[in-house]
Amino acid sequence: MVSIPRSTTKPGAGLRSKRHRADDFAAAQELFHSRGWTDGLPVVPPTPPLVSACLEWALMPPGQLVGIEPVRSRPITAEKLAVNAVMAGCLPMHFPLVVAAFTAMLQEPFLLHGATASTGGAAILIVVNGPVRAELGMSGSFNALGPSDRATSVIGRAIRLVLLNLLDARPGEIDRSTLGHPGKISYCVAEDEEGSPWLPLAEERGVPPGASAVTVLAAGAPRQLMNEWTTAPEEILDTYASEIRASMRHYSIWPGNYAVVVPPQLRAHFERASWSKADVREYLHRKARVRRSEWADCGKGSVVGERGEREYAAFGSPEDVLVIAAGGPAGGFGAVIPPWYGNKSRAVTMAIGACVDCEA
Amino acid sequence: MTLEFLDPTHESGAAAFAPAKRLATLKGATLGIVSNGKKGTKPFFDAFERELKQRYGVAKVVRTTKSNYSAPAEAGIMTEAERWQALVSGIGD
Amino acid sequence: MTSNFAGAAELMARALGAEGYRFVVIEHPISSASAEDLAGRARRAAAECAELLCAPASG
Repeated sequence: MVSIPRSTTKPGAGLRSKRHRADDFAAAQELFHSRGWTDGLPVVPPTPPLVSACLEWALMPPGQLVGIEPVRSRPITAEKLAVNAVMAGCLPMHFPLVVAAFTAMLQEPFLLHGATASTGGAAILIVVNGPVRAELGMSGSFNALGPSDRATSVIGRAIRLVLLNLLDARPGEIDRSTLGHPGKISYCVAEDEEGSPWLPLAEERGVPPGASAVTVLAAGAPRQLMNEWTTAPEEILDTYASEIRASMRHYSIWPGNYAVVVPPQLRAHFERASWSKADVREYLHRKARVRRSEWADCGKGSVVGERGEREYAAFGSPEDVLVIAAGGPAGGFGAVIPPWYGNKSRAVTMAIGACVDCEA
Repeated sequence: MTLEFLDPTHESGAAAFAPAKRLATLKGATLGIVSNGKKGTKPFFDAFERELKQRYGVAKVVRTTKSNYSAPAEAGIMTEAERWQALVSGIGD
Repeated sequence: MTSNFAGAAELMARALGAEGYRFVVIEHPISSASAEDLAGRARRAAAECAELLCAPASG
C-alpha cells in the first residue's frame, strides 16, 4: 500500500486554477471528455488536495514557472503540470519525473512545438535512469516498451495530457499528426541498469554516476527485430543497422537520434565479447548508411535525380546513437526507435531536480 | 458526493495583437517572402513572384527560406523583414 | 496555408491573440502538384494577397 504524505498546510492553498464541480465521479468523467481534456481514457479528478500533495512532494510552489513554450509564449507552471499529472494517475512520488521530463522538452534543441504539431506523428519517448527507478517500482524488464508498471504508464501519460491541455496539442488542432502511434498514450521506459554491463544512457550523456535522470526523444513507433541465430555482436548489429536503413528508405533519410533497445538475451553476446555501448555506437555509425538511389527500390524513384550515389548516414556521430538496455530475460527481440524527423528535434537528457538556470 | 477539481488547461489570456497598417498600393513596394522550403514551395513562389511584379507592380521581391520548417523564422530573417513593406509567409502544409 | 491546414492556422491565430486573422488558402497538397497547377494556385494566391495587404479603395 502506498501512503500519500499528509499535507502540513491547508490543502489547496495557493492554487490558482479555476475550480469546477461535478455531482460525482461519473459526471466528472463526462465533463472532462466533453471539453477535450482527456486522451479518451478515464482520468483521476484533480482535486485540490491531490494536486497540492504532488507539489509538496516536489517542494514546488504552485506558481513556480517550469518554463515557457516559445512558439506561443505559453507559461508552464508547476500547478498545471501537477493537475495533469494527477489526472494521468500519478502519485506525488511520480511528479518529479513529470517535471523533469517536461523541463527537458522545453529546452531549445528539443523543438517542442514542431515535435508535437507535425504531421509526422511523433510521441515523446522518456527513458529513465538512476535510483528513482527502484524507488518508483519501475521495470525495464518484461514488456519494457509496453505497459510494464504503474510508474512508467502514468508518467508517460501525464506528458501527453500536459501537451493536450497546456499546449492544445489535440488531434486536428495543434496536433496535425496524420497517423500518430500508440506511444502517444504513454511511452516511458526504465533502463535495466542492474542487468546490464553497460553504462546507463544518462551517464553516457553527461549525468553524474548515481544520479537519477530522464532522456526525452521525439520518437516514432518501435520497429521490432529478431536475431536469435548468431552470437556475433557484428551480426546482431547488422540486423539493427538493416532496420535503421529500412527506416531511412521508407520513412526519413535524415540523420538523428535513433534509439536502439537491446534485451538481455542479445546483451549477453556483447558482454561475452567485451563490447561496450561505445563499440555498439561506433559500429552502427559505420553501418547504418544508405545511398539515395535506394529510394528507387521503394517507390520514391521520382526524387532520386542526379544524386543517386550520394550516401546518407543515420548518425551525424556515434554519440547520436541512444543505446538502451531493456527487455524481458528471454527472446532475441530488439527494437529500433526512429526520431521524429532527422535532427529537427534532438534528444535531451536532464538530471531530476536539476536547475536549468543555476550557475554551474 | 460533489467533487471539486481544478482546470487542467492554460488559462491566461493571449497578449493583444494589432495587425500592421495596410498598404495604399503594392506598386513600387518591396515585399519579402518567408518560405518554409518544403517541396513545391520554390515553383509556387517563383510563379507568385512573377504575378506580384507583372500584375501588381511590386518593385522588389526578397526571397528567404527558413532553416527549419518546423520552427519559427530565425531572428536574422525577422530583422531583414523590417526593411520590407509587406511579408508573405508560406506554405503551411 | 493549404486547405488541410486552415484549421491549424485559425487555432494558432487565436492562440497568439489574433482571432480572425485572415490568410490565403490554397489547394492541398503542394508537394506532388505539377508546375502548371502550382502556377495557377500562385496566380489566385497573389490576387488574394494583394487584397489582404492593401487598404480598401475609398470613395
